[in-house]
Amino acid sequence: MPTPYDAIVIGGGHNGLVAAAYLARAGKRVLVLERRERVGGAAVSEQVFPGFTFSVFSYVVSLLRPEIIRDLDLPRHGLQILPLESTLTPLPNGDYLAQWSDHDQNRCSIARHSARDAEAYDEFGRLMHQMARAVKPILGMAPPDPASLHPRDLLGLARLGSHFRSLGTEQFHALCKLITMSAADFLDQWFETEALKATKAASGIIGTLLGPRSPGTAFVLLHHYMGEIDGVYRAWGFAKGGNGSVSEAIAGAARSFGAQIRTEAPVARVLIENGRAAGVVLERGEEIRTKLVVSGADPRRTFMQLVGAEHLPEDIVQAIRRFKFRGSSGKVNLALGELPNFSCWPGSGPQLRGAISISPSIEYLERAYDDAKYGEFSRRPYLDILIPSLLDPAMAPPGRHVMSIFVQYAPYHLNGGWTEARREAFGDTVIDALAEYAPNLKSAILHRQVITPADIEHSIGLSEGNIFQGELTLQQMFFLRPAAAWARYQTPIRGLYQCGAGTHPGGGVMGASGRNAALAILRDGA
Amino acid sequence: MSAPAVVIGAGVNELVAAHMLARSDRKVLVIAERRNSSTEIGWVPPRIVRDLELEKHGLAIHRHDPWVATPLPAGGSLELWRDMARSVEAIRRVNPRDAEKWPAFCERMARLARLFEKLYLAPPPDPLSIGFAFRVRALGRHGIEDLLRLLPMSVADLLDDWFESDSLKAVLGAAGIMHHHQGPRGGGTAFRLLHHCVGNPAGVFRPPASNIGRVLAQLPGVGVRGAAEVARINVREGRVAGVVLSSGEEIAASLVLSGADPRRTLLGLVDPGWFDPAFVRAVRNIRCRGVVARVTLTLDRAPGFATLVVAPSLDYLERAYDDAKYGQVSRRPYLEARSNERQVQVYMQYAPYALADGAWDETRRIALGDSVLQMLSEHVPGLRELVTERSVLSPPELEALEGWPEGQAHHAELALDQALWMRPIPGWARYRTPIKGLYLCGAATHPGGGVAGAPGYNCAREVLRDLRRRSKP
Repeated sequence: MPTPYDAIVIGGGHNGLVAAAYLARAGKRVLVLERRERVGGAAVSEQVFPGFTFSVFSYVVSLLRPEIIRDLDLPRHGLQILPLESTLTPLPNGDYLAQWSDHDQNRCSIARHSARDAEAYDEFGRLMHQMARAVKPILGMAPPDPASLHPRDLLGLARLGSHFRSLGTEQFHALCKLITMSAADFLDQWFETEALKATKAASGIIGTLLGPRSPGTAFVLLHHYMGEIDGVYRAWGFAKGGNGSVSEAIAGAARSFGAQIRTEAPVARVLIENGRAAGVVLERGEEIRTKLVVSGADPRRTFMQLVGAEHLPEDIVQAIRRFKFRGSSGKVNLALGELPNFSCWPGSGPQLRGAISISPSIEYLERAYDDAKYGEFSRRPYLDILIPSLLDPAMAPPGRHVMSIFVQYAPYHLNGGWTEARREAFGDTVIDALAEYAPNLKSAILHRQVITPADIEHSIGLSEGNIFQGELTLQQMFFLRPAAAWARYQTPIRGLYQCGAGTHPGGGVMGASGRNAALAILRDGA
Repeated sequence: MSAPAVVIGAGVNELVAAHMLARSDRKVLVIAERRNSSTEIGWVPPRIVRDLELEKHGLAIHRHDPWVATPLPAGGSLELWRDMARSVEAIRRVNPRDAEKWPAFCERMARLARLFEKLYLAPPPDPLSIGFAFRVRALGRHGIEDLLRLLPMSVADLLDDWFESDSLKAVLGAAGIMHHHQGPRGGGTAFRLLHHCVGNPAGVFRPPASNIGRVLAQLPGVGVRGAAEVARINVREGRVAGVVLSSGEEIAASLVLSGADPRRTLLGLVDPGWFDPAFVRAVRNIRCRGVVARVTLTLDRAPGFATLVVAPSLDYLERAYDDAKYGQVSRRPYLEARSNERQVQVYMQYAPYALADGAWDETRRIALGDSVLQMLSEHVPGLRELVTERSVLSPPELEALEGWPEGQAHHAELALDQALWMRPIPGWARYRTPIKGLYLCGAATHPGGGVAGAPGYNCAREVLRDLRRRSKP
């Protein structure tokens, strides 16, 4: 019996939507099935408290691939990115470190702490820029299988080799170092200002259960450095309307190409017949048949739940079992009656319009990690804060504000498990840590929403609450994401593909996994 | 025809390099800056044994069996043997599931170790070369996956994938952090465990001991200047011209091989003005943070163990590292005690070279010795009464005595970003330096410490290659 769909995409997260849009653009009849009542997955805007809208989970845009913005014409579908132009790091001694996107202003600001660092900053920026450029072409690649003799893989390896050779020895070596070093060691080579090192290192630990002194974290630092909006490296932005509007824009593009999107349609499993994907079965029992199924769920959900180990070869089952998730971050969303007043820089000036980072020193971050390592949330956590209502007043009622606090570390595997009481204790810890720098915070809070890794798993289905669908560590990247031999978006089940952040190149509201997957599918002629 | 070659240092690496050159008819003078220790720990590559005919000269390699013993929290101890079946039996008493997996784990590690055996006796590979690609592919699908996954990961993650027993994981995990400024949860520590498999049969994760240092010292063929110290390396027109001893004596040489660490060699002995700033910065940035103290006990009689490891769990090791991370001596340290007849050498980790509060003084050393003896006595009954003599060496003393920069036995930490083609610094990993005729042959070069003589051996072969190339018309 003919089916009305050429392809079904499981999960309406941004990657699923990107994949759907590209497939629809190529003429496929696509159906997206989303479990929740709205699309977006981790990139959603919700009115959590009346009048207050939050980017509930992910909260900035920096890595969204420019080719996706272009190909899908996202601005036409409502995407508008407002730049974040500063990062303020309040310090325990009452001082602060401010970083600005304006070059000269930034230089002056850093020179206040160290003339040497201000000097090194430019050269550092050049190196990171080079490294980001060196890595950029790899983001759009379907990782070749290094053990295969298939001409496609050999060609891929040869292309990879010649790309690295084309960098020249010096840049190739710098890249090797960056990939293998710890963020702390790497930054120690450049800077002496603790707050500067820590604020930079912080982006190296996001989403992993590693401290800034652990090798492998310098690379994640680069991952976050690749942010480019309209071609400008290093820029971070906030999507007008919250991160949900990124998803809405992509969904809009997908629909304009003819894709259908059904919400509140949770998929129970992938229908498999004779080792081939034959469609999906919804939780309510409805069966939808198609020859091509694309899963945006994370690797554990896709393989162990939607497919089931019994349909898979032992190798991949083992690889997925040992794939590390270990969510390590939480979120606190606040509705505020007034703006926080930071004692290091009082008032509501430009310092509040960018990011605010509680990361006074590498040791602070490392000690935050020590707690998590043994199964406790950080007593003094790293916080990355935004006040979106300053950039987009529509996020809160007039005169009031919303604040988004990203928190690390909050380990998924908490000693004794996450309970209601532990969640509130965690929320209190976060508020206390921030109130040290902004004493009026506690009295300004109208409502608060505390999200633990367990909540992330429960509400949007990310295993162990890992925001990247699996740790972004070297042993889980490229060839090995999510498993060797299955990194090209295909799976052992013919007709079933993966397109989530659990595939190369990984998370960060980048969309590259979804795009690469769609292109691989179209190339395979599936 | 040959101008003399000077070798700075008389450790195993330096002597292997010296004798390799001497065998190619070079006149070689070794400046023996310090006394050689009598027992060496580390794999002795058969090729070096063969090339220098060390067996004929009395080389003895001690392969302990059991190769390790560790006290179990519930009493008794876990002993691991060279014989696979015997280890399986021993592990079965601790955890039957782990025993099942032991042979497969050892085989997987041994397969990778065999690749490294080849890589270790040659200059570091060029990762982008076709030859290297073929070597890696020869490992087969499982081998390639294991290699790519294992190198960057933490030894704790690797072992958690395989085993359940805390004692078993800790005894293996300890090999991943020995002499290393990381805990078992730090990335790259699985590679260090692999480093300890190289040259060992499957199922052995500790290197053997040997008298290779003494054998090399007695080998004829090279001149040795004892009790001397090099103060300077002379450079003329970008070429090495000789060395100046601290006595003021000048020795002209067209070839100088330095076993001293790169920082001392290149920034101390050579005038750094010869190098461009980027090179100087790279050398300065070599990390060599020492983390061990060595306690030597002389006993009335043999203590009844060969290698004893005190490390009850990976978390215990990690907590020991937590202290060191912030510049403190571990409150509950990891101990690795090796006995040789009536002498026991205990490596205590972590004892950071740079302390957050104050310096290494007499009080701290005595306290450290006391606590090490106390901890060992808990596991070796009657030990305290057997001790006739004890000495404690803190990291600064190891630096002075052994020439370990900051007390780091590997000269440059054997971390992934300082391994293979990045050892000691990228671009200069093939024993040469920007000064013509000046080479590095110490543990800071590929493949690092724990492989007796391999850096020296590889270095000498590169020197000879350069000489052959130059003598061609």
